Amino acid sequence: MNTKQLLRQIPIAGVMGLIAALAPAQAEEPIKIGVPVGLSGANSVVAPSVVQSTELAVAEINAAGGVLGRELEVVVADDGSGAQGAQKAFQSLVYQQEVDVLISMETSAARNAGLPIVNRAGVPYIYTSFYEGRSCSPWMYVNAWVPEQQVAPVVDHFTGEEGAETFFLIGSDYAFGRGMLEFTRQYIEEKGGEVLGEEYLPMGGTDWTAIISKVKSAGPDALVTSTAGGAPNVTLTKQLRAAGVEIPYGNLAVDEGTARNMGEDAAGIYISASYITKIDSPENRRFMQAMEDHFGDEAKTPNELSVPQYEAVYLYKEAAEQAGTTEAQAIIDALADVSYDGPRGTIRMDKQRHATLTMYLAQVQPDGGIELIRSFQNVDPGEQCPNL
Amino acid sequence: MGIILDMLTTAAILFTVATGLMIILGVMKLINFAHGAFLMVGGYTAYVVTQLGWNPWLAIPCAAIIGLLLGMVVEQIIVRPLYSRPLDAILATWGLGIILGQVVTIVFGREVQFVETPIRGAVEFLGQSYSIYRLLLLGAGAAIGAALTALLYFTRFGLNARAVIMNEELARGLGIDSTRVRLLTFGLGAGLASMAGAMITPLISVDPTMGLPWLVNSFMLVLVSGVSIPGLMIASLMLGGAQVVVSTYISPILGGLTIVVLAAVILRIWPRGLAND
Amino acid sequence: MTDDATVLPAAKADTTAGRSRNDLHYLARCILVAVGVLAIAPFVLDFYAMNILVRALLLGVLALTVDMLWGYTGILTFGQSAFFGIGAYACALMFTHFGFGHGFAVLALVLGILAAVAVGLLVGWLAFYHGASPLYASIVTLALPIVLTQVVYSGGTFTGSSSGLSGFPTYYWSLTTWLWTAGGLLIVVTSLAWLFVRSDMGRILVAIRENETRCAYLGIPVSRIKILLMAAMGGLGAVAGFGYASFSNVVAPELTGFLLGTELLIWVALGGRGTVVGPVFGAILIDVSSSYLSGSMPFVWKLFIGVAFVLVIVSLPQGLTPVVTRFWRRVSGRKPQAAPPPRLTAAPPRHAVDDGRTPLSVREVHRNFGSLQVLQGIDFQVGRGELVSLVGPNGAGKTTLIRCLADGLERTGGDIVVHGNDLARRAPARCVALGIGRKFQKANVFATLTVAECLQVARYSLDPMSPWTRASELRLPASALRIVEETGLKDSLSVEARHLSHGLKQALELAMVLSLEPSIVLLDEPTAGLTRTERERIGAILTSLVREEGLSILLVEHDLDFVRQISSRVIVLHQGRLVLDGSVEEVVDSELVREIYAGTHYRGEEAEAS
Repeated sequence: MNTKQLLRQIPIAGVMGLIAALAPAQAEEPIKIGVPVGLSGANSVVAPSVVQSTELAVAEINAAGGVLGRELEVVVADDGSGAQGAQKAFQSLVYQQEVDVLISMETSAARNAGLPIVNRAGVPYIYTSFYEGRSCSPWMYVNAWVPEQQVAPVVDHFTGEEGAETFFLIGSDYAFGRGMLEFTRQYIEEKGGEVLGEEYLPMGGTDWTAIISKVKSAGPDALVTSTAGGAPNVTLTKQLRAAGVEIPYGNLAVDEGTARNMGEDAAGIYISASYITKIDSPENRRFMQAMEDHFGDEAKTPNELSVPQYEAVYLYKEAAEQAGTTEAQAIIDALADVSYDGPRGTIRMDKQRHATLTMYLAQVQPDGGIELIRSFQNVDPGEQCPNL
Repeated sequence: MGIILDMLTTAAILFTVATGLMIILGVMKLINFAHGAFLMVGGYTAYVVTQLGWNPWLAIPCAAIIGLLLGMVVEQIIVRPLYSRPLDAILATWGLGIILGQVVTIVFGREVQFVETPIRGAVEFLGQSYSIYRLLLLGAGAAIGAALTALLYFTRFGLNARAVIMNEELARGLGIDSTRVRLLTFGLGAGLASMAGAMITPLISVDPTMGLPWLVNSFMLVLVSGVSIPGLMIASLMLGGAQVVVSTYISPILGGLTIVVLAAVILRIWPRGLAND
Repeated sequence: MTDDATVLPAAKADTTAGRSRNDLHYLARCILVAVGVLAIAPFVLDFYAMNILVRALLLGVLALTVDMLWGYTGILTFGQSAFFGIGAYACALMFTHFGFGHGFAVLALVLGILAAVAVGLLVGWLAFYHGASPLYASIVTLALPIVLTQVVYSGGTFTGSSSGLSGFPTYYWSLTTWLWTAGGLLIVVTSLAWLFVRSDMGRILVAIRENETRCAYLGIPVSRIKILLMAAMGGLGAVAGFGYASFSNVVAPELTGFLLGTELLIWVALGGRGTVVGPVFGAILIDVSSSYLSGSMPFVWKLFIGVAFVLVIVSLPQGLTPVVTRFWRRVSGRKPQAAPPPRLTAAPPRHAVDDGRTPLSVREVHRNFGSLQVLQGIDFQVGRGELVSLVGPNGAGKTTLIRCLADGLERTGGDIVVHGNDLARRAPARCVALGIGRKFQKANVFATLTVAECLQVARYSLDPMSPWTRASELRLPASALRIVEETGLKDSLSVEARHLSHGLKQALELAMVLSLEPSIVLLDEPTAGLTRTERERIGAILTSLVREEGLSILLVEHDLDFVRQISSRVIVLHQGRLVLDGSVEEVVDSELVREIYAGTHYRGEEAEAS
């Protein structure tokens, strides 16, 4: 939402209300999709790609006749990538814009801040960012991965092909970092591996000197990291390379685009994702082409966060059509059943509000490219929200 | 052995980063809270240099020059009116940091930028495989310390600066243009910060907020140092060393807070840091 | 490092205002307007605006605490966000982990306030001690939010780490109720703060900001006041944080962070530090407009705030409030009404104690700076009713000796006994309690306080000060009263000290010192830079004080003629040693003194002389 719109709405709202009350609705009102997203703050790097993929999905659906004969309309609100901003954004969308559904990629802090508002107002909410798992609300569905889905491919590959027995885990001290690595440790130990060390730096910390020295003296076979995005992740990778650490290295927090930008330093890193641009399916090829046709030079590279967002808009469409209404409870009931064949494959959010996903293990090449190593079909999200 | 190298190189990096802040505090009695922003300017200079396809080593002199020029401009516009209001100068330079950060964000975006590294990998050193670049920074820190000492003790500018440090009124009475000394000092401080920013890019990421943790640590170190070059070296060794020791033997999370907490405690006991009589 | 908040005209408007009926009427009118606005707001604003406003009002309370600390008292704090965070987390942790209900809410609020007060006391104890640099407080308040944020991050599921805590049960009152609650809190707190800063106690805060050293030497327990203020503002910050968390149903580490701490400074600076209402409006306006604008132009908006902040700090240090006030006055044609200064009355006479014990005896005092011995083996006494002059060339150690007498922490060794009480290691404020009053070499007054206020501040330790009202009467001892009357200060009681002539400043400081009703007065060149008439007037007053009230005076002086006129005894210091102690004639006419002043005296001759 921009200021102009807002300013226009304030005086017009009253008049509109009056007109609406007097005259029978001429055309059907559009269905409003609220997208709270971090246009400023930490997520401002990926937010534009997320907004684009939402716009693409909406444009495609509207071109094909909309949903239940109504057009879709996107309302974007900045959540500042944090709790405070998210509250404002959710409130504005839910109570001021009165959106029919919320579909968004956000930080965990922002999601947690928004959920009470969602619960109070009873608005369907599809969360489209990977996260540390086990966030449950009767009004929320998630179509991105959780640790259970992401960690396995990396660890399985390391213990299998690379023959690794000992691991070292490094992370940033925050919910996602801790959550990921705690699960990783369990998983490694289940598989008979040994974790030689698990070390954290404060959130935002960028001096990994002491931890890297510990890695070198422990001498593990492989390394798995889960840091905060941006600076902590980049500095860790650079400092590991500067220190000459060359063991297999799985980075749970890096996405394809960042890895590509990091250049030589990122070479050899393993990433595990539910989406990479290299996916060779007709749906993905069509999607990539549509992005290019729609946005031209402005098109942002599709990524792990923007693609689930795209698919979520379609999932909502399916749910609304199956329910035959945009009424919240009916949508929530329908969302568990519907599925959509998107760039990542067939997505259905039927596992305790989460989705079974195909996961891809890829390795960054010295030229910055990504090579698909293996794909893992139908990885289950595990027990996420057993009470729902 | 590894931990000793970690301590030494950490200290060298901290020293390199903090010198710019110290020079300005020493001569101008002013805390430059835009120090982190100048560091960031250096990082982005390195980014632009490598984007232009120039040799990555060129980033360091380029950053120093840009920092120097920027510092001299800023001194005249923002800092000069605040000579007599040191606490306000902290705030104004903090505001300057916000401005620089936002301008950089608008131009380059908020994302992390990647700078080509001039040299990477590890070498055998004292029977230990160790990062080449960190070893180079150890040498660079020592060189900067020596160069600054030489500048202060063997040049006309240094003589004037020392006169201003000791007694500004008297210095002015002796015909020293203290305004000019301040102008050059702020430029020098900003140039050093910016150069340090370019020097550490191979170890850190370049983004609009990259300077903040360095600002806080530098601020603490400079105050503990008692504002002198040898003092800063000792402070960097002490606190940087303590950070490595705590990170290694206790917890890296506590390690990340070591400098801040230790500095607050040290300054409570010895308010003038290492310059105590 | 001294902060030059001294030249801030910010305090101008309110320093001239006394507590009067007018003042209270004005406050009542303002409260009425604020209540009116608050009452109408729910019917005009939409849901979103209401939500934003509730939060902004609570942040306004927090900004007010920053203004009290920074704007009024000169403590540049980066850490008020930490107290806000403590209150917010007290609420969230209680409701999430222990339970919800009125009892739990009250318990959480009380615990939050207690925790914040405890942290405030700790921070204060660390940051404010005699001789602490003002910068050190900034360092501690900078470290506090950094450490606290990390504690929250490390707290795992208990604190919610980076994700924060949300969705805990809370009071789902209607927005109108919340708006009135938050608005009511802000109005009450702002009104109390407004009364407080205009009271006699409030003047003490400004005096501390203007000249902390002078305050300490007036017997004002500066450190204790700052510590208590820090704790109180911490507690208030926690109340705001508690309200914020229970309203928004969310806490996150950013609420405790250093960046919120710096944002508060920006709001306060833009609104106008040291004005109470300025920072409140600054916080509300900037926070609300950020909510509307930061989404559509996040980076430009922040750039704009940064530019505005720098501009205000550089060229408009008192912020925007005075500009608005001035404009309003021009439009409304209203002039600021300076309240009449308090009536001067004589304090009941209280002659210097004649307990038969020597007022001041100094034994073997020495002071080293590193290896440099500035004072060595100083021995002398000052009796009741004596006016002893301390003479000697520059660098002889005269000022250092005065400092040792007025600050127990100063000397390296030796004993100083005042009326039989050991000076020990007392800080200046506690030396004042023993009866020592010190006047500095350079006139040392409170620049933005009026003459009457300066004198009032000096009475801190003798006349109880009200935190809410303004005394209508200023009680001064006869000696101070006499100076005020004879030098013409009486006609300038409402004039700010910085507008006084050099001579009047000196006289004012002397009057302030005498207002302490000291039994020993230490004067460091009280007549430097004065005209001949002024000097003679001071001399006459000093001699009569000694004669009539039995005061003991120790005076550093260069002018030997003046010394000869007024002294009852003279002490000569040279190169850190006491070389002569005798009657005026003995000393002034001695060969030794002539040599010392002519610069022909060498160390070797000292042995003979002493």
